[in-house]
Amino acid sequence: MMSTSRHQERNRVALDAADHERVGGISRRTMLAGTVAATAVGTVAPIAGSACAQGGDPNSKQDMMAFLLLSAALTGVRVAILAPEFDRTDKPDILDADPGVDPINVKNDYFKWINASDGATFGKLLQIAKDHRQSAPDILNAVSASDDTRFLGRSIVLLWYLGSWYKPEDLKENSAPGTRALLESQVVSATAYTQGLVWQIVQAHPMGYSNLQFGYWSRLPLDPNDQNARSDLGFITQTLP
Amino acid sequence: MADNNCIKCDVAIVGSGFAGALIANELSPKGISVVILEAGPGVQPNINDYMKRFYKAAVKVPESAYPPELFADPGKLAAGRPTSATLGPKSWQDPKQSYLIQKGPRPFASTYDRVAGGTSHWLGTSLRFVPRDFTMKTSYGKNAANFPFPDWPKDITSQKLSTFYARAEAELGVSADVDEQRFLGIDFPKGYTYKMPRIPPSLLDQRIGEALAQLTEDETEFLGMGKPVTSVKVRSLPAARNSQPYRNRRACAGNTNCIPICPIQAKYDPTITLNEATNRGAKLIDHAVASEIIVENERVSQIKFIKYEKEAGPRTGEGCVEAKIYVIAANAIETPRLLLMSKNKGRTSKGVANSSDMVGRNLMDHPYYVAWGLLPPTAKPVFPYRGPLITSGIGDLCDGPFRAKRAAFRVDIGNEGWNFVVAGSAFGADPHVTTIDFVNGMNSGGLNAKDFNQLGKNNVALLGTDLAHKLNDLITRQFRLGFLVEQNPEPDNRVSLSSEFTDALGLPRPQITYDISEYTKQGFVAAFRMRKLIFDKMGARDFTHRPPDPASNSPGRFEETIDGNPVTLTYFGAGHIMGTYRMGDDPKTSVVDSFQRSHDHKNLYLVGSGTFPTGGTANPTLTLSALALRTADSIVGELRSQG
Repeated sequence: MMSTSRHQERNRVALDAADHERVGGISRRTMLAGTVAATAVGTVAPIAGSACAQGGDPNSKQDMMAFLLLSAALTGVRVAILAPEFDRTDKPDILDADPGVDPINVKNDYFKWINASDGATFGKLLQIAKDHRQSAPDILNAVSASDDTRFLGRSIVLLWYLGSWYKPEDLKENSAPGTRALLESQVVSATAYTQGLVWQIVQAHPMGYSNLQFGYWSRLPLDPNDQNARSDLGFITQTLP
Repeated sequence: MADNNCIKCDVAIVGSGFAGALIANELSPKGISVVILEAGPGVQPNINDYMKRFYKAAVKVPESAYPPELFADPGKLAAGRPTSATLGPKSWQDPKQSYLIQKGPRPFASTYDRVAGGTSHWLGTSLRFVPRDFTMKTSYGKNAANFPFPDWPKDITSQKLSTFYARAEAELGVSADVDEQRFLGIDFPKGYTYKMPRIPPSLLDQRIGEALAQLTEDETEFLGMGKPVTSVKVRSLPAARNSQPYRNRRACAGNTNCIPICPIQAKYDPTITLNEATNRGAKLIDHAVASEIIVENERVSQIKFIKYEKEAGPRTGEGCVEAKIYVIAANAIETPRLLLMSKNKGRTSKGVANSSDMVGRNLMDHPYYVAWGLLPPTAKPVFPYRGPLITSGIGDLCDGPFRAKRAAFRVDIGNEGWNFVVAGSAFGADPHVTTIDFVNGMNSGGLNAKDFNQLGKNNVALLGTDLAHKLNDLITRQFRLGFLVEQNPEPDNRVSLSSEFTDALGLPRPQITYDISEYTKQGFVAAFRMRKLIFDKMGARDFTHRPPDPASNSPGRFEETIDGNPVTLTYFGAGHIMGTYRMGDDPKTSVVDSFQRSHDHKNLYLVGSGTFPTGGTANPTLTLSALALRTADSIVGELRSQG
């Protein structure tokens, strides 16, 4: 099928790009983007577990599940969308579930990125998610209780929605109600851009990355003629798995 | 004669964009040897690197998919270029940021790329000119003493260009419905069909078409069409974008990314023709910047070029090419730059091909009036960010008696919501800006106010499902219109050479003086009224920002009084660079003849939209392609007659 091969081709493009980034293709832009970002790019490559002692451990399934619960509460998007291979079979405690490994695996990149930018606060956020793992509203309340977790939480939402990193300190600085400003940002990776959730939330697709077929734009989203449509808003939910 | 180390060929072409590639591909199969000099990098093995560059760009401007580095000091680039990111209030006149040395009083707001394939970041719109676009003086200013438009040469009419348009439409692969494109007298031969069916209209196109189906004469009187207008048609735009597989390229999948790059090459770009030309024997030399056209005894005898390897330079070598015929196809800023740089040790002190003193003058664009709207909560969403960036437009209002007094406009309907720098403000593009606004309680885009967010208060910060649903509710009702306004040629709108600033090869950078005339501004006033009519009919709110707004120091802004109210209008660039080596029948007032051959040097052709005496409102690419094919025929004829 044409659609399948195209989809595979796109995935390959994205994966190749991601691989290239891991090999160390640090662009000049990355270099200019500041120390937090530069540090984070460095740590996308495998690192020793001890390096994140004060934050989360990306190799710990419990920490990863806590990150997914935190992310689901913050974004309003189902865990199964954030982690397509997520599996909870026979695990009464959600923290024991398997976050899974998927071909995109953007969750791992994001985990490491956030951990490298502010491990201490990230550790607090993971603890909040563990403590309130039954309730998205409780997670959100706890995240908003102090400035450090609130603004890192906002950075994490923007990371999932846009694939770009907006520094918590920039968000804090511009948080006076009604501020108008251009915030600096960095696209975390080519893959991150193509996985931005906001595009799905508005029933569209990342510009330059679509799985749809000729002519779909003259029909409403979810028209039965359009295969691969991913715009059913059922993925927006307050219910944690 | 010149030294013998020069590369020898029949035809030397400078520039591998639309015009250069099309001409090379016409000549090569006929046994004519062709060498093409390209200032930038060559054709890439595939587009993956350009796609990755686009995905990773924090600022996704039209140049973002292509080298060189977007924010480099243009004085340190071997083949620099103007970029959209350097048109801000602080950057447009800063030579450390802007490649063009802009002397004002207003900015020239269009940009271009210097890579093999040239204008690959185009939208694909492939409109023919309407007949009276070629005869502005005769049609609308016959008896006016200072009418600001000339006619095109008498051999270039809508009808005479028709067969060349057809050839260009076949080469580019244009999708359109011929019956839908018959308006304002556009001439198609009997039985003509486009190569592919039209691109279907978006939901927004359909909505606007319904809104304009029934109008009153009072509502449309301001247009000055000279006849009652009681409905306005929205038509699909002819586009070099496959609506079915064509020449081994697949059909458009609506990636909403025609500018800057189609990820599946469903949109034609000149590398396609360029690859065919090189397969047929044309030789492409990349990283080769033409630096001087050498003239001996009124004829061009060679072109010198500089080689470099890294995008920051330095020069690594030089060379020259000797041919029977020379073609400069380097766009309407780089072509005059090369002509003016070619002083031949003072023998051509005003530059090559410049006895008329018209080289570099009459720089034109389609100054672009952009308007952003939001449909009311009661309206059905239009679901933007889907489909090709633009699928339909309004062309029927671009010609009429009003052209005696004010500039014409043509309307683009944007399918990309508020992605085009949200509402004209300086805070970036959507969906990013609105997302940040609602995550952080900001209001850069304007939607986080209680009138629009429907949340009972201003500047809310949301998370979770509240955030997701609010963004869906608002962003699916966004839309954008663009009005391409005709600009009359003016000699003082001019490309010259900077005496102060050079690029990394030591060549003088282009210097620009530019303004827009009262005639053009009156086109904006009419566009403003048309915008208001469309928005009113749709019940849409206008989000085009006006003072007091941080964007009010935008260098492209100007004030007008419309119906007694002060209004600030801002123009953007359309990327349609035209006019700087105009064609004409009189060598005293033009640079090239109707075949785009220099009046001064019979073996020199200058091609591209720089030859347009007037710009109309159609995107120039199809017309410059048709003219390039006509030039190719002329070159073939001339070489045959030489034996």
